[in-house]
Amino acid sequence: MSSVPDQALAIRASRGDVEAFRVLVQKHSGLVYRVALRILGVEDAQDASQEVWIRVWRNIESFRRDSAFSTWLYRITVNTCLSVRRKESRRGEREYSGDEMPFLPEPPGGDADPEAAALGTERREEIQAALSHVRAEHRAALVLRHMEGLSYAEIAKVLEVPDGTAKGWVSRGRAAMLIALAEEDHGHEAGGPAR
Amino acid sequence: MMHAGEQRWEMLERIGSYAAGELGDEVALEVEHLVFERPEYGRLAESYARMLVMLSALGNEPVEAPEAVVGYAVRRAYVSAFMRRAEVFVGALGRSYIDAFVYYSGLRRESYGGGT
Repeated sequence: MSSVPDQALAIRASRGDVEAFRVLVQKHSGLVYRVALRILGVEDAQDASQEVWIRVWRNIESFRRDSAFSTWLYRITVNTCLSVRRKESRRGEREYSGDEMPFLPEPPGGDADPEAAALGTERREEIQAALSHVRAEHRAALVLRHMEGLSYAEIAKVLEVPDGTAKGWVSRGRAAMLIALAEEDHGHEAGGPAR
Repeated sequence: MMHAGEQRWEMLERIGSYAAGELGDEVALEVEHLVFERPEYGRLAESYARMLVMLSALGNEPVEAPEAVVGYAVRRAYVSAFMRRAEVFVGALGRSYIDAFVYYSGLRRESYGGGT
């Protein structure tokens, strides 16, 4: 049944066909978990993913067949992740003093060095830590644009905001991410955690 | 009038858009001049480029959801579907009992659609 298009599976699932729903979950569980992981971090990604699928099953009758299933799924995933974050206080957003520009150190072998370009565990952790310091809505927009490769029109649909707002959120997220990442790097260079 | 901090933030965002290749031709050219003229902007553009490569590399790495997520979602759906069917069944059964009770108690006259 995995070759059946998502739209047809969604229609069947909306009529109570659990087998069709199971195929949808298996096909798209990677997408949901990946986005939750980037927006929330590893501690909350699993619970949020489970919550997403419960919401999908409950609301599958409201899925409008004129849009792609993946866009609808991205929307539920991002909304679920943002609602998890809203329950918490706005934590650790980095302020930009404007005194100096945030720079990332050049990798030891230069940008052309494939070994330096490959992401080590430490680098991955730094990126994830830096992401957590970006405001949740901006982080979601940044993840959708630069990690999921969505167009601005798609991001606007997922986040249910005008195209201009989506662009603004990505742009702010990108700047905030660079500031946070530069601080992470300086923290490592100084031999301690960045704060 | 724009505060100096706001100007720097705007420049920070603009160079980010330049590094991401999202500026229109005219603005991109303007920013390009600045990037070549001022070393700190050049370094900033390089930092952005490096960060975008890292984000994209991380985004392209395959991520599999834990098996527990899939199992939990499907189990919940089966239970929910069973409950829905059970609700329909019990509802229909209840209605049948009430109809039978009404019929045997003679509380309702049979109507044959032939008027009053």
